[in-house]
Amino acid sequence: MKHTLILLTALMAQPVLAQDTSPQALIEQYSAAAGAAASPENGQALFMATHSGGKPDTPSCTTCHSADPTKGGQARTGKPIDPLSPTANPERFTDTKFVEKWFGRNCNSVLGRDCSAQEKADIIAWLVSL
Amino acid sequence: MSDIPTPFEGLVDDGHPVWDRFIRVFHWALVVSVVMALASGFLLDASWIRLHLVSGSLAVALVVARIVWGFTGPTYARFSQFIPTLRQISDHLKAGADHARHIGHNPLGALMVVALLALIIALGVTGIAALGSGLKTGPLAASLTASQGPLWTELHELAGFILLGLIVLHVGGVIVESRRSRECLACSMVTGRKEERNGDLVAPPRPTHLVLAILLISGLVIGAVVTINGLSQCPLTLPPVGPMAQVYGDVCAACHMAYHPSTRPAASWELMMGGLGEHFGEDASLPEETRIEVAAWLTEHAAATTDSKPALLWSDLRESTPVALPDTEAWKRLHTSVDEASFRQRNIYSRSNCIACHADAETGWFSPFQISIPKEPKQ
Repeated sequence: MKHTLILLTALMAQPVLAQDTSPQALIEQYSAAAGAAASPENGQALFMATHSGGKPDTPSCTTCHSADPTKGGQARTGKPIDPLSPTANPERFTDTKFVEKWFGRNCNSVLGRDCSAQEKADIIAWLVSL
Repeated sequence: MSDIPTPFEGLVDDGHPVWDRFIRVFHWALVVSVVMALASGFLLDASWIRLHLVSGSLAVALVVARIVWGFTGPTYARFSQFIPTLRQISDHLKAGADHARHIGHNPLGALMVVALLALIIALGVTGIAALGSGLKTGPLAASLTASQGPLWTELHELAGFILLGLIVLHVGGVIVESRRSRECLACSMVTGRKEERNGDLVAPPRPTHLVLAILLISGLVIGAVVTINGLSQCPLTLPPVGPMAQVYGDVCAACHMAYHPSTRPAASWELMMGGLGEHFGEDASLPEETRIEVAAWLTEHAAATTDSKPALLWSDLRESTPVALPDTEAWKRLHTSVDEASFRQRNIYSRSNCIACHADAETGWFSPFQISIPKEPKQ
């Protein structure tokens, strides 16, 4: 019974991904919306930087995702976060709704505003290049 | 009531058997189990509850066997030999330091024996009641409510303090009487023998009913085990709700352990679900449809709908902004034994990561039997 519960919890903790897109398709989509090519360097800089516009507990993407997105991170609650880079985790950036939900929440937490289409394209481009 | 002891007349004899083998094994086994129960109860934290239950149960079982032996055992084991009359007590007190030497228990010593036996039984009863109410486990879990937990726990603690006091008096009495009569009474509890002197008060011999004692003790032990097992199976009223709704697991447990709905009152959940843009320092916004669905499930199974200690602890959170459980006084009081460094460990990381140490945190029970602080992982 206990093991079934643990298994059930573990299964439910996995997001059900729609697999309706790909990292490349998202980069193209966001770049088109921004009207400029994606820059992995800018994406890296944005990801690594310490920001001051957002919530005080989450000054940087690395606060939870760690400075190495090919490895896992850890939420402030202790919960492990799967690697962000599609190189290490092929499930990443394959579900439009999921990507938009987390860009929405996390850009607001870290920057205090939405990320622009350019910034999204840059970050995904950098994560893909790792 | 007491068999009248008569003054001993004859040769001085250093080998008079007083404490039979059962009494001696009982006495020292009781010392060990009571010391373990007191230490685990007063000095160690909740994760030692197993040791406390085992040692406490052993002490009660020993006392029950001793009570049977008090009716079936040999001369000096018998209650009828040593339970004093009021007259005997007052005579003993009036005689002061010149009172006659009793081969068995003297009247004051006998009162202490009775008090200790009764108190250990009382500790067993209040302990089972505290376990059944506060922790919803054991034979009384179904018949007591979590709200009675603090009362039973306090009574149990009070009895524990009285026991400590009686132990001090008991040891003091043994030392004083040993000095007065120039002998080692504690040694007699090891050898079972006492020197017999002229003028000693000796009781008329009584036979041992060994078979009857064994039958009674085994009958009581089997009866107790069967009764306790049977009662422990009774279904609980208002247990914490079962596994979480799928959506709760998907959206909330994506970032943190799935906090059980019974750990907050409905008002606190409503407040929290109404302010997800500022969710303990992060933006945890949800689509409106999902937000309503999750909020409804949480409030439906909130603290007031559950009979458990955690539900009771946080049932009256009334902050205007939802407070994190680790910031509450109740939480802090219960975690004083955990050092700061443990919470920083990579595999714990946050005070709000209950499930790192409480394996059953997501069920809403937080049983002390399920606590295990993980070791710091090697890098």
